[in-house]
Amino acid sequence: MKKKCNCCKLPWWSKLLIATTGIFGLLFTVYFFNLDMKLTAMMEPWLLKWYDHVDRDKHL
Amino acid sequence: MAKKIGSEALGRFYKEGSKVRTRREWRGVKDTAYDFSRWLVIMGTLGKFIIKPRNMKAMLRYRWMANYLAVPMMVDRHTQGLRGEYLRMCHAEQDLIIDDVAKLLDKLFKGDRRIGNDEEFSKKVVLVDENEMTAVMMGFPMLEALSRETPSTYVPVLLNQHSMEYYMDIAEEFGLAPDVCPMPEAEAGVSINDDAPVLGACAIQCNTTCDGSLLGNGVISKRLELEDGIPVFQLAAPLRHREDDVQEYAAQEIRNAIAFIEKHTGAKWDWDAYFECAKRVNLATRCRQEWLDMNKTDYPQVFGSNLALYTETNYMAICGRVPAFAKVDRKLTKLAEQAYKKKKMMAKEYRHRAIIWGVQSHYYFDFLLWLVNCWGIAPLTDMLSMVSTKEIAEVDTPENREQAYYDMAWLTENMIMRNRTHGGYKVLLDELWDFVEEFNADMVILWEHMSCKALDGMHGMFEDRAREKGVNLVWVEHDLFDPRIISRQGVRDQINNYMRTVMREEPLDPSLEVLPDDQSW
Repeated sequence: MKKKCNCCKLPWWSKLLIATTGIFGLLFTVYFFNLDMKLTAMMEPWLLKWYDHVDRDKHL
Repeated sequence: MAKKIGSEALGRFYKEGSKVRTRREWRGVKDTAYDFSRWLVIMGTLGKFIIKPRNMKAMLRYRWMANYLAVPMMVDRHTQGLRGEYLRMCHAEQDLIIDDVAKLLDKLFKGDRRIGNDEEFSKKVVLVDENEMTAVMMGFPMLEALSRETPSTYVPVLLNQHSMEYYMDIAEEFGLAPDVCPMPEAEAGVSINDDAPVLGACAIQCNTTCDGSLLGNGVISKRLELEDGIPVFQLAAPLRHREDDVQEYAAQEIRNAIAFIEKHTGAKWDWDAYFECAKRVNLATRCRQEWLDMNKTDYPQVFGSNLALYTETNYMAICGRVPAFAKVDRKLTKLAEQAYKKKKMMAKEYRHRAIIWGVQSHYYFDFLLWLVNCWGIAPLTDMLSMVSTKEIAEVDTPENREQAYYDMAWLTENMIMRNRTHGGYKVLLDELWDFVEEFNADMVILWEHMSCKALDGMHGMFEDRAREKGVNLVWVEHDLFDPRIISRQGVRDQINNYMRTVMREEPLDPSLEVLPDDQSW
């Protein structure tokens, strides 16, 4: 018979609390250290290169 | 304590060569939690937008869409150092504007022949200029008034200072004069580069502000009419808008524009909808007037970026057509009254009361907030916020239906910028000094947009009048959309030099005096 680990014994509300705290902590870290903007800043050069290869009917 | 205004040196978040800042500001528990919650809302709006496959397709098609990666950073720039009611006012407006632009983009791509290609939807779309009052659409609730230039040129510069350099270079590569205003030049560049969404039953262009604008409209309408088959109406509003004898002609132009829209869309003008919008236009006017009255006292509340960016959007692009803006008008007024009663201040000290005049730099829109945070200069109001304060007819009667054409014409003639840069030197020069007295200002900061021929000719007259009145006049040169000509630091240096050499003052926050933000979004 498999033995249940300690975290599985926790009541549902404690699990919910741990998950919420974890998600909050993660999101707040992203927010406070500006990680969202640091990531998108890395994406920009790739996007600009991509646009150079899009076909366009360029004329006056 | 970071809760206190001015407790953190704001300049330390900048990093040489970086597009973004090192981290966000700690504003004390309550304000940081509030700012964090608004950040989550913004991320939700952006997520909801990009999750749609057609919007993702558009993101990969249009170069200017890359600038929308910087949306949260734009909000951070405009909330720098703000606490309490000021932070809440800024979020109330910015979050609504973000939501409104996201909806605009979504609709553009829905009808765009290259992306969503929804032909039925496209038949209900009337394209409007970015620099145009949308008053003429107030009686068409069944139609969509969509601007292509707002999301492709105007908003991107607010998001990323370098966003329009590519398009200006394209326009010049095709022989357009390089000394023309960069705004219409960039709009023309987007059209030349085949980067404007193609949709709509018809389009309305306006002889907005200047020769540059007319040039840009010519390039765009040629492509719209001759290649895309979208008929364009040229709404020629009189430039001498304060003269009584031009008003009948102006009203007739509105009648013609409405008839044109009816002809090409099959829609019929709805007076009920018009007067509903008129009520909201009047509400916005009353609220703005109340904010301006507060700004005449020792405790200004809705001012600087909070006043400028919102007025531009609400007055011109919305023009009573979106009920959500009326809700925010009330919310801003409530927050302002609350802060006024408590005698609250945006910065720890106001050393100077300034009127900001001229056409402001778009790549440095948060300059107004920098003035407060760095030097304690309160920008009480700016030229683009000093628009019509006349209330329009809002009750549906036979007389008011006739008056409505004159009201729409009045609003169109008095669109942002145009109401000051055209109409004689009374509206540009004389009234500035009236406002200086009304607002009890001791300083005028005059933007010199070097490509704007409408304003450059008056340089000497402003100086003469400032000398007569004994008001400190600071010229700040810029090139509207092009930070390669005068950088953000170049803009700041002009104030720094004046404050140190003429006023002999030290900054409130010295960390903001020189910022390594040349590469920044």
